Amino acid sequence: MENFGRIQEFGERLHARMARAGDEPLGDAEFDELALELFRRQAACMPTLERLAVRRGLNLSNRVPWQQLPAIPTRMFKELDLSCIPEHLRSTYFLSSGTTSEARSRHWHGDESMRLYERSLMTWFHRNHRVERHRFLSLTPDASAAPNSSLVHMFDRFRLSAGCGLDSFFGRIAGDGSWQVDFEGLFNVLKLETRPVFLVGTAFAFVHVLDEMKARGLVFELPAGSRLMETGGYKGRSRVLTKEELHGQMRIGFSVRLEDIVCEYGMSELSSQAYDVLSGGVREFRFPSWARVLLVSPETGREVGEGEVGILRVCDLANTFSVMAVQTEDLAIRTCGGFQLKGRLAEAEPRGCSLMAA
Amino acid sequence: MAFEIPNYFMADLGPEAEFTTQMVTEACLTLRRNGEHYLKTRDTAAIIRVLSLTAENWLEDDYPFRKIALGRGPLETGFAREVLQAGLDHFFGQLTGENLEDLLLQELGHLKRLDRPCAARCEAGANKESLATGPDLITHYAAGNVPVPAMMSMVLGLLVRSSQFVKCARGASFIPRLFAHSLYTTDAKLGSCLEIAEWKGGKEKHLEDVLHQHSECVTATGSDETLDAIRHRLPGRTRFLGYGHQVSFGYVTLEAMGGHQVKRLVRAAADDVIAWDQLGCLSPHVFYVENDGREQALRFAELLADELEKREKAVPRGEVSKRAAAEIASRRSMYEVRSAHMPDTVRHWCSEGNTDWTVVYENDPLFQLSCLNRFIYVKATPTLDDAFKGAEMVREHVSTVGLACAEDEKEELARRLARWGATRICPIGRMQKPPLTWRHDGRPLLGDLVRWTDWEL
Repeated sequence: MENFGRIQEFGERLHARMARAGDEPLGDAEFDELALELFRRQAACMPTLERLAVRRGLNLSNRVPWQQLPAIPTRMFKELDLSCIPEHLRSTYFLSSGTTSEARSRHWHGDESMRLYERSLMTWFHRNHRVERHRFLSLTPDASAAPNSSLVHMFDRFRLSAGCGLDSFFGRIAGDGSWQVDFEGLFNVLKLETRPVFLVGTAFAFVHVLDEMKARGLVFELPAGSRLMETGGYKGRSRVLTKEELHGQMRIGFSVRLEDIVCEYGMSELSSQAYDVLSGGVREFRFPSWARVLLVSPETGREVGEGEVGILRVCDLANTFSVMAVQTEDLAIRTCGGFQLKGRLAEAEPRGCSLMAA
Repeated sequence: MAFEIPNYFMADLGPEAEFTTQMVTEACLTLRRNGEHYLKTRDTAAIIRVLSLTAENWLEDDYPFRKIALGRGPLETGFAREVLQAGLDHFFGQLTGENLEDLLLQELGHLKRLDRPCAARCEAGANKESLATGPDLITHYAAGNVPVPAMMSMVLGLLVRSSQFVKCARGASFIPRLFAHSLYTTDAKLGSCLEIAEWKGGKEKHLEDVLHQHSECVTATGSDETLDAIRHRLPGRTRFLGYGHQVSFGYVTLEAMGGHQVKRLVRAAADDVIAWDQLGCLSPHVFYVENDGREQALRFAELLADELEKREKAVPRGEVSKRAAAEIASRRSMYEVRSAHMPDTVRHWCSEGNTDWTVVYENDPLFQLSCLNRFIYVKATPTLDDAFKGAEMVREHVSTVGLACAEDEKEELARRLARWGATRICPIGRMQKPPLTWRHDGRPLLGDLVRWTDWEL
């Protein structure tokens, strides 16, 4: 419990620091210091982390830059218990998306980690989005139907922030566990709504909605100031569109400007989110200053240069209660202020990959 | 002036060339006509002469096609010069007159079977003679990874006097094309019975439909889905020979690990990982090593890692795509965490600063598909039965089992492996070096191509 107490203490400090981070973002030296301190505390709770560092020849009592601290692949959340929270204090968990038949990542949370999670979530959300007067609408199911989805939890917080009711969710869970959209209900609201709309959903749900609108010959003229937020990939749940195609269709289908469309990048294994910014026709994702991105060359394991594709690692201090540095399965390039996604690793996993490799 | 590849085959026009149905139709008609004039009129001995002479040339250092293959090959194929050289030398070293005759005897029972009605000694009692005839035109769909299967298909087709259209996967025609040119140079008439082209499979359905209309036989190598897609598009009368993707593994017994030859065994295992950068279907994904609690498998893995590191300089792995490197990197980081979490049951070793080679040891006989490019699993197993259980999921897809064991274990193990489903068993170190007479996927080599005519006297 002593080790956990040190995690709690860090969490409280970070919680307070986030509140000031809007005006005073974490600088490089401060981030470096906090990251090492947090890693040491997490390693004290999880011997696996400690052994990883030792095997890499890292001496944690020396100054180690955050870029050198071991990152845990997101896949490992599927098989290891990656949490500093004692079992009796765990109250909920987020699962990665996926079917019931495949192993899914499990990210444990307790009351304190959720408090930190929400502070991270809402601080960065408010910094990027002004939607208090909007009618919030989501293409996902609501939190009672999908209690372990970090995405739905996030959208639910956005709903509360916009002061809207539970009738804002138009996703339904089908018999096979897949998410579907109640087109009738959604379209009825969209037809009548006079306030600006804040419409959120996964990329594949937007594709389903746009396809249905096309089939019915529908085009919505959303009130000025409306915003659309899309997130996530397709994972075989709909036909696949490029970002440009999807955004082009969203722009026409809902009569909004491209700058009214925003992408979110997040995952159940992290506690912070990145939003993209459209500047000069180019979109780039940005995390808050307490989460940093490192792109490593798959070939050499070293950081890639600007414009070069690398595997995306996120060092998220808000993951105080689990593991701070996470290696994703996304490929990305660094841009001046953030990063752009450039595809995913092959879906193949050692236990389930196809014979195509042979 | 450097020797240039002449323009003769469709693939010589470069990967961007676009073809029309008319061009493919004309190619098929020309192939059939040439076959009628230049193939059907020759006897087996003449065909064998051209093949073996060409192969001899390929083994000469100053043979122009060999020089191009080894010079431009690394860029065109992604294999390092040393890997290409070893693979090509083995293939052409096997392509001798003697071996081709052995193949005919094995497959058809008589050397003259394709020339005239004849009877092997065991058939004499039935008072009949038989003649085998190949299709007039064969279309081959050749897979991407390794060039040898495409060349072998061409050899088999020529033996049965078939004209052949070889459709290579995108970016995979380089070596088969050079082989076709070399045959053309040895004997232009025989070379005129071959066509080589490349396009992305399934993208040019209208061209493929033309091929199917003109071919009596279609062969294809690829994933089960690819094979199904082709099979469903064929006219009913067309014969189809599909070779699905296969996996291979090695098996090392306690006896083999107990001897003085362990170092030699590990060198041989490294040969199998290095050959064709592990990308062929005869390359091992896993080495099973019997373990009785004395860490034999762990020791094998350690030694194999040392050996791969040593060999990397002499026989470097080719460059891999960003995606392939990312898959290796991602698996490595996963095993790094697993080995920190369960140090007694998982270990891993990898090349420093690059993705050149990786060895993963797991004390768990569950079969793992490797991401290849010299990423090899070493799995401890108490017995062969445990390995069978672990590999049950790939049982239908197992090609080769490389075997290291004591002399007196051999026959029993071979019998059990064969009953279980392996279609080829060979010593470790020779997994990627099958003899010319190797029956691909356990099927006859010529028997599926020819039509028999029995003549009762």
